[in-house]
Amino acid sequence: MMDGALMSWLLAGIPLLGALASLPLWSHPERLKFSSVVWSVISLGSIAGLATQLPTPPEGLLPLYLLPLAAVISLLGQPAHEDHRLSWIMTLIFLGLGVAVLTSQPRAGNLILMLLLGMNAILLHRYHSVLWPMSWWGIGTYGFGALCALLAIAADHPLSSIASLLACAVLLPLIPFHDGHLTALTRLPGSLPSFIVLMLPVVGLHRLAIVLPTVPDAVAWTLSLLALVGAAYGAVKALAQSRVRLLLAYGSLSFFSMLWWFAAATRTATPRAALMVGTVGLATSGLLVAWQVVRTRYGDDVDPQAISGLASGMPQYAVLLSLLALAAMGLPPFGVFAGFMGLLLSSPFPSTVGLFITLLAWLAASWYIMQMVQRLLFGLRRPELRYTDLLRAELASLLIVVLVLLALGLAPATLFASEQASPRINAAKESITWNR
Amino acid sequence: MSVSLSAFPVGAPHGSRCESDEVFVTLALFVPLLLLAAAGLVLVGSDASRHTRARIAAYPIGAACLGAVATLYQVTTGGPMTIQFYDLSSVASFAIPIGFYVDRLSAVMMTLITGVSVIIYNYSIGYMYQDRHARRYLAMICLTDFVLICMVSSSNLMMLFLFWQILSYLLYVLAHNHAHAGTLAGAFKTFALLRVADTAFLAGIALAYQLYGTLEFQELFARAADTPTVLPLGLGMEISGATAVTLLFFIGAMGKSAQFPIHLWLPGSLFAPTPVHALLHAGIINAGGFLINRLAPLFGLSPTTLHVAFVIGTLTAILGATMMLAQNDIKKTLGFSTIGQMGYMIMECGLGAFSLAVFHLVAHGLFKATVFLNCGNVIHKARQDPHSPHVEHPEDEEGLSWLTWLTGFVTTLFIPLLILLVMHGILRIPLLESQGTVIFLFFIWITSSQAILTLTRLRRVASWKVSAAMLVTLLFIVFVYLFAVESFTEFLYPDPDEVASYFRAADLPDWLFDLIILAATILTVASWSYLYMTAHGRTLKMPAWIEGLRVRLYLPFLNRLYADEVYQLLGDTIMRLVHQLDKRERGWSR
Repeated sequence: MMDGALMSWLLAGIPLLGALASLPLWSHPERLKFSSVVWSVISLGSIAGLATQLPTPPEGLLPLYLLPLAAVISLLGQPAHEDHRLSWIMTLIFLGLGVAVLTSQPRAGNLILMLLLGMNAILLHRYHSVLWPMSWWGIGTYGFGALCALLAIAADHPLSSIASLLACAVLLPLIPFHDGHLTALTRLPGSLPSFIVLMLPVVGLHRLAIVLPTVPDAVAWTLSLLALVGAAYGAVKALAQSRVRLLLAYGSLSFFSMLWWFAAATRTATPRAALMVGTVGLATSGLLVAWQVVRTRYGDDVDPQAISGLASGMPQYAVLLSLLALAAMGLPPFGVFAGFMGLLLSSPFPSTVGLFITLLAWLAASWYIMQMVQRLLFGLRRPELRYTDLLRAELASLLIVVLVLLALGLAPATLFASEQASPRINAAKESITWNR
Repeated sequence: MSVSLSAFPVGAPHGSRCESDEVFVTLALFVPLLLLAAAGLVLVGSDASRHTRARIAAYPIGAACLGAVATLYQVTTGGPMTIQFYDLSSVASFAIPIGFYVDRLSAVMMTLITGVSVIIYNYSIGYMYQDRHARRYLAMICLTDFVLICMVSSSNLMMLFLFWQILSYLLYVLAHNHAHAGTLAGAFKTFALLRVADTAFLAGIALAYQLYGTLEFQELFARAADTPTVLPLGLGMEISGATAVTLLFFIGAMGKSAQFPIHLWLPGSLFAPTPVHALLHAGIINAGGFLINRLAPLFGLSPTTLHVAFVIGTLTAILGATMMLAQNDIKKTLGFSTIGQMGYMIMECGLGAFSLAVFHLVAHGLFKATVFLNCGNVIHKARQDPHSPHVEHPEDEEGLSWLTWLTGFVTTLFIPLLILLVMHGILRIPLLESQGTVIFLFFIWITSSQAILTLTRLRRVASWKVSAAMLVTLLFIVFVYLFAVESFTEFLYPDPDEVASYFRAADLPDWLFDLIILAATILTVASWSYLYMTAHGRTLKMPAWIEGLRVRLYLPFLNRLYADEVYQLLGDTIMRLVHQLDKRERGWSR
């Protein structure tokens, strides 16, 4: 029987080793990409084989399984272009660090978290452009997050708890600490946005599960309020966007804020919360890969308004994008719906107004995501566009996302961890008392 | 995961289960699976064999229909069936509890859906023969049938909602043609409006679970009846838990059943192929009525929700029928006719006559499917023959004869009296204890009187044959209808106390009841008086604005009360606000 700490380092070490082993292939983009995919698959295999021997965290093991999976789909969906080489290597490194945070002890986890956030800030700085002065806010937010992670190690309770909570708010975006999330999704190249959109939030949820039970009532109330503002703000901003990556960034912010609202109410992060975060991240990741498919064909700066009629020219793409959109807007039978329903039914509502705002944000997703999909897929074919359907790697990437989201929508929520109690009955009893 | 199969009424001993019952339970399970198999058969395979496969797929659909009939027989004789693929006591069950509960209501709906599907599918094979997307279309039809069957046989609210949502999306897919801008806009409107209603439905589910701790139908009804709850609304106001939950469910039902003011998706989706309309108007749109019936014991706990349903239903019936009269397009006319009928159906629910609503939706479904499938022929004939439809009746007489007046008098005054006597004396329906039944009778009176008025004006022929035919037909229809409705009520709700309790719950305040009866009487008598006076060359002194009302109202009703424009304005305003907010906020999207 292997020691827990050793196993943790082994699982984290595989992708890091993969990054190291892939470096000699730097001058051959195709082989580098292939190598990165293979190492991600090896990481997935090792986690599938060994994860059950690790102690189960409160949110379950689902985030751990989803990390390498997100890496695989993010890498597969990219064109083998030399501009993306750094993003592939960084994906492997982030995968290793992410796995390390999820499997290590809280103190070591905070150290790795600091490294992770710091690296994100550095990457954002590397891709900073004077045309996008707003990305300074993102760099600053990740820097702030790294500082909070450091404080969480160095300071005593309650400062350490608050610092840890703030780091969580940067990772699992909560207004007003959401700028890092927006910058990462819009400014980072290649496979990084589609991986980070899942990796950072699940890491944030893992930390949140440790911190939440210790926060005072006033802080939890403030979190609830910020979460509701974030859900509404994200939805409103997403409605106003014409740029796809920004739309997806705001949309995911809205959904993650809903999770914050439920988490602040229950003061815990259950496997249902992990399902919600994981599937929102995965669906957004899939949509980012799908948008990358369009960018690969029509250029990085392509205006979505200039694209239409993909449904007739790219039928495979159209079907998969439609299914992904359904999943992302929280429709059944996909995982986002299952996660959302799980939270809705297992948590007592702190307020009816909060429930109303949450449901409105959920409804708004149908509007902005459907509008985006309809604009891209339907309408007349444009004679100036060449329509090339999905390549094998792209098809595999999107198909995996759709199938996993479907499986997560139908599988028991407790598949990756046993529920601590029978929350259904408890929630019902509490709420009836509350309502009388 | 556990699979529980039972073909007995709730509470019956499981030890008495026999093999034939399990055969029927399996058969019930095969009904949706056969439809899914038909979809797979159409979708998967080479292009060369697509026509053959499309024809072969009609057999599993037919088999599903036979299975539904057999299921109806079984639940009639043996009681409801329950098939659960989950264990309520275990947390390790599916995220979405998949299970089937087939009672008489479900079995009736299953039979209706599969029966209509057989007709629509076979019609579609020919209709879409040369369309290059026929394969996808036929598969979608089968898939929609599958979803409908699963929805009506759901064993819990969660599963019902799951298929309810999928149905919303399938409706969007079926209603849209991706190369036609108008169709796309209509499909988007359909999706958006249905989602609004679905969100209310979801809120209802969440609230019901919070209040009662279960989404299983029977348990939910029992707990709701046993544990009355009150929710604070603020400012010292309160609302009962059952009312809050049922109001949210009712908004969900309003969406699917195209009730005012979220009815606009139905006329907006009229670009879809004709068989889709047949399916939509015969099957999908009944979802709202089905939902209310499925949750009848819950709705029966809330007189407020039933009154709201009555008001919304009546308003939709009146507006739908009026807008129908002003349309100049056959599909739109039929679309608004459906809206009116759905309003009528919801009104019936609002009066506590749940079984009557089901009877109505079955009858309307069959009728409207036939009309839609035939409307293509009418359009085709009208294009071929400039004299079709015939509007000239040179042989008609100028005025109305005494015979015509007599016929009108008998149908308007004598037949309703006869109906009252039959209901009270033969069918033993306690009229004095049920406001709902009385209101219904008055509604029948108004509508039949209006029908006779229309027929009288169209056929100004003084003939004994015509008058006798009209009277006999009317009598026959009315009595068959009354007996059928009464039998159907006994079939669907065998416990007369339950039926009576729904009527009692729907009782209106006395003043409102009297007002409705008075208005119905005045309307009927005034219509005949007006017709009589105008036919005899007399004029009624009316203010000019009333005289011009008919002309002035025509345009708004032709334009569907400008509801599309109002929604457009609302959408534009919201988007303008969103963009203003976006611009005020620092940076990212600039």
